[in-house]
Amino acid sequence: MKTAVITVLIVWILLSGVAWMLQPKPDDLSKTNLTWLSDDNPTRREQLGLFNRLNPQYNVRLDPVDTNTGGGMEKVIVQSIAGVGPDLFDSYGSYKLATYVKAGIAWDVTDELKNAGIDVKKDAWKLALSSVVYKGRVYGVPSNVGTPAIWFNKDLFDKYKVPYPKNVRTWKEFLPILQRLTIRDEHGRVKQYGFLCDSWMVTQFIWQWGGRTYTPDGTKCVIDSPEAIAGVQFFHDLMYKYHVMPTPNDEAAMATQGGWGSGTMTLFMGGKGAMALGGRYWLCSLRDIKELKLGAIECPYGPHKIYWGSSRVTIINKNSPRRKAALAFLKYLASHDYNELVNHQADCVSPMKAYCYTDKYMHDPDYPNEDFNAVWRDTNDYAMTEEVSPFINAQTAGRIVEKQLDLVRNNQKPATQAMKAAAREVNAEIQKNLDRDPNLRAEYDRLMGTKAK
Amino acid sequence: MKTTRRQRNVVIAAGFLLPNLLGFLVFTAGPVAFSLVMSLSNWNIQHTVPFQWTFLRNFVDLWHDQSFWLYFVNTIYLMLGLPLAIAGSLVLALLLSQNLRGITIYRTLFYLPSITSGIALMILWKALYNPDFGPINAVINWTLQTFHINGILHALFGTSVTPPQWLLATRNLLGLDVEKVGFLPAQWGLGARDAIIIMGIWIAVGGNNMLLYLAALTNLPQELVEAAQLDGAGKWAVFKNVTWPYLAPTTFFIVVMSFIGGLQGGFEQARVMTGGGPAGTTMTMSYYIYTKAFEEFQVGYASAVSWVLFIIIFIVTLINWRLSNKEVNY
Amino acid sequence: MGTTNTRRGFRTWWVRTGRFGMSHVILALIALTTLTPFLWMVLASFKALTEVEQLNPFPSVWHPENYIKVFQQIPFARYYFNSVFIAGWVTILTCITSAMAAYAFSRVDWSGRDGFFKLYLATLMIPGVVTMIPNYTLMVKLHLMDSYLGLIVPASFSAFGTFLLRQFMMTIPPALDEAASIDGANSWRIFWDIILPMSRPGVVTLAIFTFLGNYGSFTWPLIMIKSQHLRTLPIGMLFFDTIYGRQTNLIMAASVMNIIPLVILFVISQKFLVKGIQLGAVKG
Repeated sequence: MKTAVITVLIVWILLSGVAWMLQPKPDDLSKTNLTWLSDDNPTRREQLGLFNRLNPQYNVRLDPVDTNTGGGMEKVIVQSIAGVGPDLFDSYGSYKLATYVKAGIAWDVTDELKNAGIDVKKDAWKLALSSVVYKGRVYGVPSNVGTPAIWFNKDLFDKYKVPYPKNVRTWKEFLPILQRLTIRDEHGRVKQYGFLCDSWMVTQFIWQWGGRTYTPDGTKCVIDSPEAIAGVQFFHDLMYKYHVMPTPNDEAAMATQGGWGSGTMTLFMGGKGAMALGGRYWLCSLRDIKELKLGAIECPYGPHKIYWGSSRVTIINKNSPRRKAALAFLKYLASHDYNELVNHQADCVSPMKAYCYTDKYMHDPDYPNEDFNAVWRDTNDYAMTEEVSPFINAQTAGRIVEKQLDLVRNNQKPATQAMKAAAREVNAEIQKNLDRDPNLRAEYDRLMGTKAK
Repeated sequence: MKTTRRQRNVVIAAGFLLPNLLGFLVFTAGPVAFSLVMSLSNWNIQHTVPFQWTFLRNFVDLWHDQSFWLYFVNTIYLMLGLPLAIAGSLVLALLLSQNLRGITIYRTLFYLPSITSGIALMILWKALYNPDFGPINAVINWTLQTFHINGILHALFGTSVTPPQWLLATRNLLGLDVEKVGFLPAQWGLGARDAIIIMGIWIAVGGNNMLLYLAALTNLPQELVEAAQLDGAGKWAVFKNVTWPYLAPTTFFIVVMSFIGGLQGGFEQARVMTGGGPAGTTMTMSYYIYTKAFEEFQVGYASAVSWVLFIIIFIVTLINWRLSNKEVNY
Repeated sequence: MGTTNTRRGFRTWWVRTGRFGMSHVILALIALTTLTPFLWMVLASFKALTEVEQLNPFPSVWHPENYIKVFQQIPFARYYFNSVFIAGWVTILTCITSAMAAYAFSRVDWSGRDGFFKLYLATLMIPGVVTMIPNYTLMVKLHLMDSYLGLIVPASFSAFGTFLLRQFMMTIPPALDEAASIDGANSWRIFWDIILPMSRPGVVTLAIFTFLGNYGSFTWPLIMIKSQHLRTLPIGMLFFDTIYGRQTNLIMAASVMNIIPLVILFVISQKFLVKGIQLGAVKG
């Protein structure tokens, strides 16, 4: 018994040695070592590799995070509090930026960038600014921007003898094409849908029909306006009235794996839909399927031409002892080399606008068939970004609204009632937050007061 | 002053208890107290809201928090599988206690889900429940087609049945409403919660509870059974009058443990299989605490929820103890 | 008299056979229900992705390379190592701390012992979620977030373990340590040389329980681990599922590899486990 205990103990002490050795390799001390928290994929590794080649005095390492879950933000905040945070991290949208700034983690680089001759406000896409500028100060450099448009599978159009879409402006004009490309099998089951669309894209429909989530000052949730409801209703009708788009149930049935977040892109790649609303970054995967003949057009719109734009932004950790050195990476993100690489990789489009207006962007010699790049550039001008209210946690609001949208998407509740319930709950939560925080209350009263005048 | 041996021994005992008690103080007692203190504040990990003592505010908010009550109902609903699982364990134990050949093999097989339970099994069941390509619905579809069930149903009642959407459906066997605590007939059917219950039964039925029953049954004095049989009692009467009362302490233990486990449960299922959806129907109290603390960063509020859960568990256990002192004389 | 006996005997035989036959049929059916999901998992792990969703039970072409692909796509070996390493340390520490505490609660006679023990046992009722958030903040403050220590230390103190071993040690005859103490052995010697070896079955049982529990531990690592190289199997599996969720065949291969050590451990240690479960349930 005693021998056994001691033996096990010794083995595990030895294993501890192994664990110690297995820790990530101590960095090359002759270089400045930086960690970058971002999602792990081949494009990111290539971008990192280019930086390390161009700047041999630096060594940037990827700290991979799963951006699909809310874990990324908690990870950055907690690690930074604990003093082991990354030197650089990616952030998406204005809510996260505001959180990082308030938590004292995002470093205000306005002056540093000015000294380096980088003018984010002028050179980057306008849609990226809300994700990188907070109260007039600049907190990083955008690493890409993107707006969805319509991908179409040319083979399926040819197969059913439908001409490729051209100059389709509104959803009304678009519907007949979608209907012609929705094909049923002999049992009446749909085997190919005209249109595929991620469920969270419903926001774009709300905007296109003139609705908004919040009033401009964020004091009130107005997702129950007739315009917003009309947008949600149209999204619902695509599934349940026109039957051109799979319902969540249909979609789960078509994907090989059930559960949440079944990928629209996977369905499109598998030829289960003739058209799909998606970003340029889809190309990173679509290029692998050689036989897929692709086209792209701008997304149709409702009464308003608005698209759902988003931007990834890289921020320097304020608490990092190497924050000065990390500036080199931000400079790289604004550089010619990086921007051209992003466009070439199709990691959405380059954060700096000018690089999308070159001949190389329009006709990449490596991909001669890709004649649709103008689409991904031009839609950016009509992009609007994530709406937030300073008076409610975006995750809480998201949970409330998503629940109601879930009910609409599953055809369990009429859009009107669902959106009314969502707005009611979000507004109740806002009031609760105001009661909890006097500063928030003061800000709220100030905004309401100015509005009353 | 003279100290007794027992008093001197306190020092020795303290030495042996030290490592365990130290860990206990740092990782259990301290945190419990700290959690109570935090529940009286508005503490937020993000530091976006200035720290403030809010005293009972969180608990008042909780009382009016409709989500909390819905998730409470979800938790209770998911516990409906417990009695079934316990009954199943008892039946299995009774079957196995007959000195059959191959009992060890059966026992091993039945225990398999329980020993391997965890993320891997949940990922497996997520695949099994896939509405159209999962094997479960494939079998249901095959049955429907082979026996022309829908044709018959259509002819007789003018209705037809489709396989459930499992993890994607908000339906449930009690017809619970999604948005408020109450019933809605349209919600009747099979959905995500039922799917989780079925999986839970599959995992638990041959697990620890069965082993406990089996152990109790091996100790069952045969004289009692034989005496009852001599009195002309049938199998059912023997079970009702001899076996069942004899098993009462075991049953009691199992029920208490299942109850405590059930109230805290549902976290892994929600995190791995459904993300709390659809429409929040698989959110349980423990998953709500996690969401509030680690996704919405409202640590103070989350602590309040965890204390409410603690109090519920405490009360349930006390009631159970009271009941056991009255009914179980062992 | 004789005829009655014969008839009775025949009846008993018939009833026994018939009933046992029925029992076997029922048991076999239940065993089949238990096994089917496992079989599906194993078979799906050898299928091509396109075949996973089809009803045919056996793959038309066997793809053992699915298992290799798992190692190529995620650092699965690393996850294995982390899980075994962490669970191992927790097991060692839990056994030591629990055995010492159990000794104090069972073999040392001190004033206030039984009252204190009851109080100690009552802490078993505290739900894990109550201590989860404070422990998390404690780990952040101690800078143990995202480290092996932060995963090992908080899990290494178990009231349940103390209880289980106390039950065991109570059954050891008191004459043994009395004799030793007359021979002049101190408490530590008695514990280390006599009581610990005698409670071997208890310690082994506790070790198996602790190892199993921590090998599959999910919630605590989920909130503690931020770096890829520290991920344990359950966390790694979760990320594998969310990122590569559409590759059902590979996910199933990973699941099979995840549970194989558990099955082996169970088959080896069945006797201890069954005993331990029964012992842990006896009220103290």
